[in-house]
Amino acid sequence: MTADTLTLGGRAEAPTRTTSGLRQVVTPVAIVAALVALYAWVSTLELDSIEQRSLNREVIVAKAIEHIQMTVAATVLVVVIAIPLGIVASRSKNRFITPIILTGGNLGQAVPAIGLLVLATFIMGVGFQTALLGLVAYAILPVLRNTMVGVQQIDPTLIEAARGMGMTKGQVLRRVELKLAVPTILAGLRTALVLTVGMATLGAFVAAGGFGELIINGLKLNRMPVTIVGGVLTACLAFFIDWLGALAESLLKPKGI
Amino acid sequence: MFDRDSAGVRIELRGLTKQYPGQPAPAVDNVTLDIPAGELVVFVGPSGCGKTTTMKMINRLVEPTSGEIRIGGEDVLNLHPDELRRHIGYAIQQVGLFPHLTVGENVALVPRLLGWPATKVDNRVEELLALVNLEPGVFRDRYPRQLSGGQQQRVGVARALAADPPVMLMDEPFGATDPITREHLQTEFAKLQKQLRKTIIFVTHDFEEAILLGDRIAVLRERSRIAQYDTPANILAAPADDYVAGFIGQDATLKRLALLTVEDIEPTEPFPSSNGLPRVDAGASLREALDAMVAHGSDRCATPTGVLTYSALCDAVGSNGAVTPKGVSAGDR
Repeated sequence: MTADTLTLGGRAEAPTRTTSGLRQVVTPVAIVAALVALYAWVSTLELDSIEQRSLNREVIVAKAIEHIQMTVAATVLVVVIAIPLGIVASRSKNRFITPIILTGGNLGQAVPAIGLLVLATFIMGVGFQTALLGLVAYAILPVLRNTMVGVQQIDPTLIEAARGMGMTKGQVLRRVELKLAVPTILAGLRTALVLTVGMATLGAFVAAGGFGELIINGLKLNRMPVTIVGGVLTACLAFFIDWLGALAESLLKPKGI
Repeated sequence: MFDRDSAGVRIELRGLTKQYPGQPAPAVDNVTLDIPAGELVVFVGPSGCGKTTTMKMINRLVEPTSGEIRIGGEDVLNLHPDELRRHIGYAIQQVGLFPHLTVGENVALVPRLLGWPATKVDNRVEELLALVNLEPGVFRDRYPRQLSGGQQQRVGVARALAADPPVMLMDEPFGATDPITREHLQTEFAKLQKQLRKTIIFVTHDFEEAILLGDRIAVLRERSRIAQYDTPANILAAPADDYVAGFIGQDATLKRLALLTVEDIEPTEPFPSSNGLPRVDAGASLREALDAMVAHGSDRCATPTGVLTYSALCDAVGSNGAVTPKGVSAGDR
């Protein structure tokens, strides 16, 4: 469902474009403001020793790095898996496997992520790889769907013109279909990234670290400030990544469309 | 391949048939047709009669079920389809310009596929844009969506001509424009073809367009069967049957007048007596001359060489012949 809305968003480009100039400035300003407010608020608190053990520079930087590592690694894997699968699913001669691929993608998103992590823990033990598996399974669908839809929605007369001029099927795919699908694929990727940042908090349950650790520790030890810091940092990271994604979309979108 | 020379080559279709699986009747049934080198042959017929399918079999976008296609004597079915298509110009109604490529890049596509050196490609793009009356300096770096419909169709024609193919396939290439732009493009294209002499297969359902552009017209019935294949003048003068006559419409004689120009008939009276008469240009069609006469309630009009009378007009399209006093046939326009 996320993929559908985003696909529509990708088609109706004009409204996003006109606001994007403003958004490109507003988002980072809002993120910085939120971080400053968070810092100011935490500074007014008297932290006990438990809180101090979580809320210090080394821990927060370490958690941030873990969180970003999980997000980036999962996204790279999603790109490597979902874009080729999306292309395969978009070919009309593969229409028999398309439902299977899509079901796989849907399943990844429909199965509760925490359940998937638990199951994966039985097989792979705890750690980074287990968290990665859950994240990838969850984030594949938007990229898969958008690649598929992005390639399928291309005007068939363009494909015919390309074939009629003597382009091979591979050339049509690389030079026409994928180029024109770039905005839609990027929209899917942006959704996947934001989903992954949020989901990566669950990595803490399988000892993969990240901001999720702050949230969970805060809850377990009944230290609200720790939970809030973890939550706000995750949200800020998600907004920041979304902002980067928007920037990438406007930079990588082929000129002329 | 058949394009060692860029001038048109002969196309022969022999028993060409396309049977789609699961269909009771073939879409194209046993078409045999010779298209002489350097001529523009128009396939005209109602929608769904198989004219486009027939055309697409020539560049193998549709694979024939049976039959033979020869271009310049070479059996097309033995060539690699992608390679074949690079040597056949192709223009379609929807134009199909790539929106993410500039006009120049669109035109350069086939030459680049053929591995032309960059400078040769650049020169060719410039030459072609000028040929279709688009100022290269202005249009080369624009994107298709920045062009009007008529300009896009010109780019489409330039792109089809890019690698200087001897054979071109055109599927209603001027179809998606308004009537004024369309007429303009048709006239320009007729001039261009006179100069280039490519072998062109041109598909349309517009008989007027067929008359204007075609050296020959193949009127097709359903399943692409040929109802009549002849010059426009002969088809208008002697339609093979009611089907063809129905396609021509009620004004066959007027259409024949449109095929001849005032230059094609000797002026009946010397020049000095032309004062005060409606005037037409040397290149005007007899239909325009008639229009000028009717508009002025006169039975004569002035041409640059003399005076043309109504009776001379009638003689030109006289009882049975498309034969004109100077023996000019429409195919030589």
